[in-house]
Amino acid sequence: MYICNAPQTPECEHHWQRAGQHVRLDEADGRKGKETGRAPVIQCIRTHRTNTWWDEHLTEDNASFLKKVVTEEYKQQTTDKLNPLKDEPWPRHEWVEGSRRVGLVAVKLGMMPVWTKSGERHVVTMLQVQDCHVVKHLSKEEYEGHTAALIVGGKNVSPFHRPEGYLEVFRNAGVPPKQKLTTFCVSDNAIIKPGTPLYAAHFRPGQYVDVTAKTIGKGFQGVMKRWGFKGQPASHGQTKTHRRPGSLGPGGDPAKVFKGKKMPGRMGNIYDTTHGLKVWRVNTKYNILYVNGSVPGHRNCLVKVRDSILPTRLENNKNPPFPTFFADGDEEIPEDLYDQDMFQFGEPMAE
Amino acid sequence: MAAACTSRTRQMMGLLRILRNFSQNERLLSTSVLRHNVASDGPPKFTPPSKPVIIDKTQKEASLRRFLSPEFIPPRQRTNPVKFSIERKDMIQRRKVLNIPEFYAGSILAVTMTDPHVNGNMNRFIGICIQRSGKGLGATFILRNVVDGQGVEICYELYSPRMRKIEVLKLEKRLDDNLMYLRDALPEYSTFNFDMQPVHYEITGDVPVNLLKVKMRPKPWSKRWERPKFNIKGIHFDLCLTPEMMEHAQKWAEPWRPYDMLKEYDTSSLEEHIFKEVQENLRK
Repeated sequence: MYICNAPQTPECEHHWQRAGQHVRLDEADGRKGKETGRAPVIQCIRTHRTNTWWDEHLTEDNASFLKKVVTEEYKQQTTDKLNPLKDEPWPRHEWVEGSRRVGLVAVKLGMMPVWTKSGERHVVTMLQVQDCHVVKHLSKEEYEGHTAALIVGGKNVSPFHRPEGYLEVFRNAGVPPKQKLTTFCVSDNAIIKPGTPLYAAHFRPGQYVDVTAKTIGKGFQGVMKRWGFKGQPASHGQTKTHRRPGSLGPGGDPAKVFKGKKMPGRMGNIYDTTHGLKVWRVNTKYNILYVNGSVPGHRNCLVKVRDSILPTRLENNKNPPFPTFFADGDEEIPEDLYDQDMFQFGEPMAE
Repeated sequence: MAAACTSRTRQMMGLLRILRNFSQNERLLSTSVLRHNVASDGPPKFTPPSKPVIIDKTQKEASLRRFLSPEFIPPRQRTNPVKFSIERKDMIQRRKVLNIPEFYAGSILAVTMTDPHVNGNMNRFIGICIQRSGKGLGATFILRNVVDGQGVEICYELYSPRMRKIEVLKLEKRLDDNLMYLRDALPEYSTFNFDMQPVHYEITGDVPVNLLKVKMRPKPWSKRWERPKFNIKGIHFDLCLTPEMMEHAQKWAEPWRPYDMLKEYDTSSLEEHIFKEVQENLRK
């Protein structure tokens, strides 16, 4: 329960704050006051919504100082989180048939060819796991009543152009703010403490994954490109009709166009999933996954990678690193992990 | 060894360098040459047997031709440079096992591939390289030859595990980078004997440029090679096209292209950087 001490006026908006939280920014326009210490007093701070950016009212020195301080703080946070076992780790369970584990958020780097030992050529997409951390844990009740959930964050990003509410989640986890947050439904034996880093070795070669990402936006597109309609012939008397949808449905009986009729419109820039992609290789030094085939999204976009849900691929996903791969130093993993069938370039002429 | 270096030895070393290209009788020739030299000088001094390392010591690095294979140079894209550096590592690893020599469009190569459908498992093809394309691991080159009157072009991937050997039979450049017009040229320009022997080439200095101008078959061609967008210098246009046709082709000229700043891609600093990295890693 929060109580406001200041007199209520219709113009100003009040900024509610829980006791004990301290505000880092000390800005000249007095938008937020600095609280002294951790007094158990519930305060209310009056705020005005202003359209300024973070360094508009700061001097150059202050702005550069803030930038430096923030980068140092994030470096410190990442190094702290490298060994999550140090403070109250959550219990690790063994993999059981039917349990679901977390996935990762990765950056799509590009594509390259890969050859099998028999000489067949396949193409792979390289997904780099950059600064992936578990950010929050939602129990069954909080999430939806059936499964627990873990929110995972992707690439590190600067805090200066994000709203306060967004940054708060990361502050609670002790992790630098991320560009993309996704939720993974997870079984109860696979929950991980918020703040744990996730690495590419979470997936092993030979596993199958599903990759979700926002497709490349194509803008407003016609019906031939968007839905694959065949259009009309180019010649033989067609008057001004070559790429049009043609008929919109049956005639007088419904006397209407049904809902969901495929028509021109905005195409792309929606989330799409590619299922059942094989992992060919995992590079543990740079945290790169080599995933078969193509993946939705442009280069350098953030994608969500998780274990495949296809029933025919469940056998390949047995006995994964559960709940995730911890870089504590227990197991020595080689820099590159290859699938059995894959041709490794350093090998002498095989075959 | 330095003390015994007379001018005679230097000549012999020069011969050695040339003979190194022929890997057959290298050892025999080198030792016999040295013995001959020592006998004429007087009391025989113990000279250690020549090793190929000697070539690097006498020959300065600067005079060896610096060649960076074009597939190492990354294209101008908004990709993370980490991706290119990792691909380069794989390419260097493959090059340590398979020797990919220096060659250009216009050189004659012999390629040996493994083929499961052939009795002896190996498949050898000789042809002139008409095009080198692709960047990174997917780099390819096309070899063209005319076999029994039938023109054959095979596109090989440089880093495929089925490649066994790539030999350069004749290293030379032509007036263009892309010799696709040989498809419309007289077949004599694309025929090469399968029993051709390697021709010696220097590892220093410039690559010889063949200023051959090719005679074409009568039009129509597969592409309108006279148009300025192809910028072909290796066809003898005077024999097949009238000056009016040449002028007509100039209608498709785009004289502003050389001044287009958005198309500028200066790779000199990138190339040097990558060249050093590749040389360093290959030596390891």
